[in-house]
Amino acid sequence: MVIDFSTLYDVPRYMDKLFEDFWGPSISRRRMAYPPLNISEDEGALYVKAEIPGVAMEDLELTLTDKGITLKGERKSGEGKYFRQERPTGVFQRIVSLNVPIDRNGVKATMTNGVLEVVLPKSEEVKPKKIDIEIS
Amino acid sequence: MTKEMTKAQPQGLPRFRQPSDILEREEGYYIYMDLPGVDKEDLVLDLKENEMVVSGKTRYASRPEEKYIEVEFGNCEYRRTFTLSESVDREKIKANLKNGVLEIHMPKAEKAQPKRIEIQAG
Repeated sequence: MVIDFSTLYDVPRYMDKLFEDFWGPSISRRRMAYPPLNISEDEGALYVKAEIPGVAMEDLELTLTDKGITLKGERKSGEGKYFRQERPTGVFQRIVSLNVPIDRNGVKATMTNGVLEVVLPKSEEVKPKKIDIEIS
Repeated sequence: MTKEMTKAQPQGLPRFRQPSDILEREEGYYIYMDLPGVDKEDLVLDLKENEMVVSGKTRYASRPEEKYIEVEFGNCEYRRTFTLSESVDREKIKANLKNGVLEIHMPKAEKAQPKRIEIQAG
């Protein structure tokens, strides 16, 4: 089973991670969590990417709640006589907490080569805005 | 389920030995290998005598001004060697990359297939 029900930002582990990042390589050591996630942002949007090879978009359940997004799915094994089985199978789930308001209607998810990418546009109200100063 | 890192390359790309399944069906042997992020063009299958080497490379690109908050995977190289048995028909090996999973189909060689011998009456 490849279950991990923990949220992404649990503080004790996050502190550990900070330490590990300080000493070690930049790839996080949360190895037990499946699928591996990359989270990034730019001015306009948040991006969540996950390596989920062999899982079709239909078998993936992506839920957007007010606190974050949940990624759920199952990896199934094929029929046959196995000589070796190393690829993980089973149900997985990961929760990503979002601390930025998201434009819910603009969320898009794509899958290429087994990598899922979810684009979560930030809501207009949090985007940096230039304010014109009127001189009177 | 974890990726097993073999050796860090001098160029800096980490190299992984990807988890694979090997199974047998009526039509032959199958190898399944997780290769997320690899394009068909970046995947090489080399067959030399009875060794088959699968190697691939990812090309994850970042958007300009993209800042990473959490990184659990990144660009890497995949490489794994399989030894083929005599009972595989080398000429008919087929590979297919779909959804980040490589499927290698290796039909059994003629002589390894069960054959019914006809009995002649007379």
